[in-house]
Amino acid sequence: MITLRDIHKQYPGANGGVHALRGVTVEVKRGEIFGVIGKSGAGKSTLIRCINMLERPTSGEVIVDGQNLTSFSEQQLREARKGIGMIFQHFNLLSSRTVFGNVAFPLELAGKSKAEIAAEVIPFLELVGLADKKDQYPSQLSGGQKQRVGIARALASRPKVLLCDEATSALDPKTTKSILELLKDINRRLGLTIVLITHEMHVIKEICDRVAVIEDGKIIEQGSVLEIFTKPQMTTTREFISSIVNHDLPDIFTGTVFSATSGPDSNLILRLSFIGHSAEEPIIASMIRRFNVDASILYGNIDHIQQTPFGTLIVELSGDQAGIQNALNYLRARELGIEVIGYVARNTRAVG
Amino acid sequence: MSPEILALLAESLLETIYMVAISALIATLLGIPLGVILITTGKGHILENIPLNRTLGSIVNACRSTPFIILMVAIIPFTRMIAGTSIGTNAAIVPLSIAAIPFVGRIVETALREVDYGLIEAAQAMGASPREIITKVLIPEAMPGVAAGLTITVINLIGHSAMAGAIGGGGLGDLAIRYGYQRFRADIMLATVLILIALVQIVQSCGDHIAKRLNKKQIGGSSHA
Ligand SMILES: Nc1ncnc2c1ncn2[C@@H]1O[C@H](COP(=O)(O)OP(=O)(O)OP(=O)(O)O)[C@@H](O)[C@H]1O
Ligand SMILES: [Mg+2]
Repeated sequence: MITLRDIHKQYPGANGGVHALRGVTVEVKRGEIFGVIGKSGAGKSTLIRCINMLERPTSGEVIVDGQNLTSFSEQQLREARKGIGMIFQHFNLLSSRTVFGNVAFPLELAGKSKAEIAAEVIPFLELVGLADKKDQYPSQLSGGQKQRVGIARALASRPKVLLCDEATSALDPKTTKSILELLKDINRRLGLTIVLITHEMHVIKEICDRVAVIEDGKIIEQGSVLEIFTKPQMTTTREFISSIVNHDLPDIFTGTVFSATSGPDSNLILRLSFIGHSAEEPIIASMIRRFNVDASILYGNIDHIQQTPFGTLIVELSGDQAGIQNALNYLRARELGIEVIGYVARNTRAVG
Repeated sequence: MSPEILALLAESLLETIYMVAISALIATLLGIPLGVILITTGKGHILENIPLNRTLGSIVNACRSTPFIILMVAIIPFTRMIAGTSIGTNAAIVPLSIAAIPFVGRIVETALREVDYGLIEAAQAMGASPREIITKVLIPEAMPGVAAGLTITVINLIGHSAMAGAIGGGGLGDLAIRYGYQRFRADIMLATVLILIALVQIVQSCGDHIAKRLNKKQIGGSSHA
């Protein structure tokens, strides 16, 4: 649906300007929700603004729905943009127009008559749950309501693609959740392709199908959200993930000395991560049954990345050393992530 | 005060209103496009054109830094060309308008600059043309500021129109100079001053009221529920 091919963007300025995008190649499929995450200044806004050519790339190609926008004239671009909706962090609603007037704006640009506009605006306001606010001005609305107006306005011209530039960054967590749910709902109901940029991993986790991580104007990693969450390759990606999946050791380990090798009297501390169905299988229980070991769970967390369960456990295995090794091998053969944190001397701490 | 004097005051008041109204109208009609061009041809704006922007900016500054009384005298030949005469209310309208156009231009420019550029980008993202951005986004959004600016323009014009009286422009200023100053009629002087004050007060209150009505940014929810 959207292809960005080797996009470079250089902002002119002193000292050679800013090289905001350095060869970005991204492919967004029809009907998916594609997320781009990156730190401040990584080039996220520049990237999303290249998709509708609010920012003209210095080089590279932008192809949206089969149209090569980079080859278009201003006039052709204006027409093409009517098929690409956009919502913004600060909503950008016209303060001089009512909610109705704001949603009517793109329809006016499309040259529709008053009667057509009146008939078309209301269903979109109903879709975002604001039909009763149609005569209010933006200053009378909450942030979440303003973004709903922004969404209705973006959808009014019936675009095939919706671009979201930090659409929830100015909202509180509860409102963010409701806006994300609305976006997901629209994505399903209208088959709309959505590209969203954010600096918050939980936004990605909540609604995206695939994600790209951008750093210093380059895509450093991309893939399905589940893949990125469970097998992050780059440090920056891990940092983003650790903001919602806790990778730190629990406090009870502060001061504990880990050893890389086993001693006759040591317990093994492991971090296990479960993805998908393996999270539902009683792996720990069958391990205890099969081998002569005990397992204490020191920390546990189960989360869902959309429909897929995703869990982390920190367990302490105790028993004779052969049993521990067999149990470890057994776990390694299962479909789960294993990280050996280390061996600790038995009874150095009370096991809970 | 005798009926003749009252009639004189009424006639002068009407002359003043006529001069101010016509020159305000001309200044608005030409000043608003001027302001729009000043802002949109600026750097990074929708119709960027730096040479045009600089040239217009310099002309506007030159006009605005010339004191009105000097401008009025300096352009007498031009006034005569346009109005056919250099004295009387019609002649006064020429320098009044010429002084007010750049003033309105700057005021409109300032009001338009207050419009968040994000709104322009949102309109661009929806496929709006520069003309649509100007007429549907910039001007409607800047209306409260423009209305406040036009109020100041009208008040300035009332002041300038009194000055135009000094060179035979008619109106209250003319009356005050001819009777109040040259014939020592303190009562007429006082009356013209009071009328001018009242006029300015009325214009200011009307302007404030209109600007407030146009401003949808600070509605408490009560006025428009
Ligand atoms: N119009 C511009 N002119 C010059 N430099 C710019 C411009 N816009 C962005 N930049 C620079 O390009 C780089 C990328 O900016 P961009 O806005 O895309 O980052 P971002 O990832 O969206 O950051 P944030 O999370 O803070 O919004 C930054 O170094 C920024 O300073
Ligand atoms: Mg940004």
